[in-house]
Amino acid sequence: MDDVATKIIDILKKHMKEPRDDISLETNLEELEIESLDLAMIVFDIEDTFGIEIPYNANEEVEDFKTVGTVVERVRGLLAESGASSSGAAA
Amino acid sequence: MTQSDNRRVVVTGMGAVTPIGIGVEAFWQALMGGVSAVGEIESFDTSELYIKIACEVKDFDPRAHLKSKLLLLADRYSQFAAVAAQEAMDQAGLAPPLPNPGRAASIIGSGAGGLVTLENGYRDIFIHNKKATNPLTLLRFIGSSAAAHVGIEYGITGPTFGTVSACSTATHAIGLLRDLIRRGAVDYGVAGASEAVITFGTMRAWQAMRVLSPEGCFPFAKRRNGTVLGEGAGVLVLEDLAHARARGASVLAELKGFAMTSDAKDMVNPDVEGPKEAMRLALADAGLAPDDIDYLNAHGTATTINDINETRAIRDVFGRAADRLAISSTKSMHGHLLGAGGAVEAVASIMAIREGVVPPTIGFDEPGEGCDLDYTPNEPARRAVRHAMSNSFAFGGLNAVLVFGPAPEE
Repeated sequence: MDDVATKIIDILKKHMKEPRDDISLETNLEELEIESLDLAMIVFDIEDTFGIEIPYNANEEVEDFKTVGTVVERVRGLLAESGASSSGAAA
Repeated sequence: MTQSDNRRVVVTGMGAVTPIGIGVEAFWQALMGGVSAVGEIESFDTSELYIKIACEVKDFDPRAHLKSKLLLLADRYSQFAAVAAQEAMDQAGLAPPLPNPGRAASIIGSGAGGLVTLENGYRDIFIHNKKATNPLTLLRFIGSSAAAHVGIEYGITGPTFGTVSACSTATHAIGLLRDLIRRGAVDYGVAGASEAVITFGTMRAWQAMRVLSPEGCFPFAKRRNGTVLGEGAGVLVLEDLAHARARGASVLAELKGFAMTSDAKDMVNPDVEGPKEAMRLALADAGLAPDDIDYLNAHGTATTINDINETRAIRDVFGRAADRLAISSTKSMHGHLLGAGGAVEAVASIMAIREGVVPPTIGFDEPGEGCDLDYTPNEPARRAVRHAMSNSFAFGGLNAVLVFGPAPEE
């Protein structure tokens, strides 16, 4: 796993009541018992960490937020678009 | 007039400042015409936002409505409240000097108070490095400002305060005044709420919660994808029936039921039990059966979860009567007025009784999953409305419900 994935998993763990060590790219966010407000907090944390903006809407089923891997892909895509480095603005 | 036995509380005045019309008549005509106020925000630069829409009260010129210099210096939220209160008091035939002002109340809440003032103050201090803020900053932003201003305008010397319960603020204010009148603590008063929070900072905060739609407010519809912020104020004049009759006031409706509950579970995700219990208790308080309600003005925020939950709660409370109940969310037109929502929605509910027409839920393509009631899609529906219920469910799980009926017969 690269830096982006590691950082995102760290962020997920930070927002879990009982952080798990078995989170992989295949893990479903649902399995992590992440609820809507948690997800908003996590997205905010990711935005802050990587200096990007993710236009995510909690009212829509978003494929990008199904598994840890899809979140990582989405963030990589946004980082590439913004030309920011994966080390991020506020990392 | 302090006998509290069998006191009936009636509405003798209504006022509204809404994104689809200033004044009850303009508001009602817009509801009947299915007018939407959703549009690109015009009051500040939205280039850094990805949610760029809201329902703003456009062309609001306080000078055109208000004479008092004190109010012209107040926050936008207090000005909205003052304009709505003035309309309601005019309709009720009440002007200063009021009769027995110590037996009158001013209960006007706000979810957030004067945020326009607060944001400008912070900008001056933190960005422009100004040495001082406007000396009125504090008086403008405190959440009791509107209640105090209206009280001063009319010389109301009885209970005067604001309520704070996010999107149930107005409904709590109206219900509390009803209770004060019913138990004989006061004879009449103004109650409602005001909200004016369409600012860059607030939009940022809401945007971060990921509950706003980038397109529009489509309650109960399949296409719904979040709510749209609105602003404005609603105020009712409530009065002991005997007091209203003694001074020859015309009675618009009766406030028959009120109840409040709390989910005590989650700050964002609403529960079914809390709203159910609030509706059930409001019906019991009104002495009515589910069958007696013809129109329900839903909280209907157009978020995925509210609309499913509210539908389930209505089904549970109304049982078979749910299928003959006309429901609508007028938020589809005026947006989510947050703290003030319950007041303008109470006005819509009273007007539905008086006019025999149910306002529509506009932008309704097809029913959303789990939304299987009659939401009065897209067109107003003419029907006799004997009683109307108005639901307000707030962040934090704070539920408040009002039930209105027709003016009691002489």
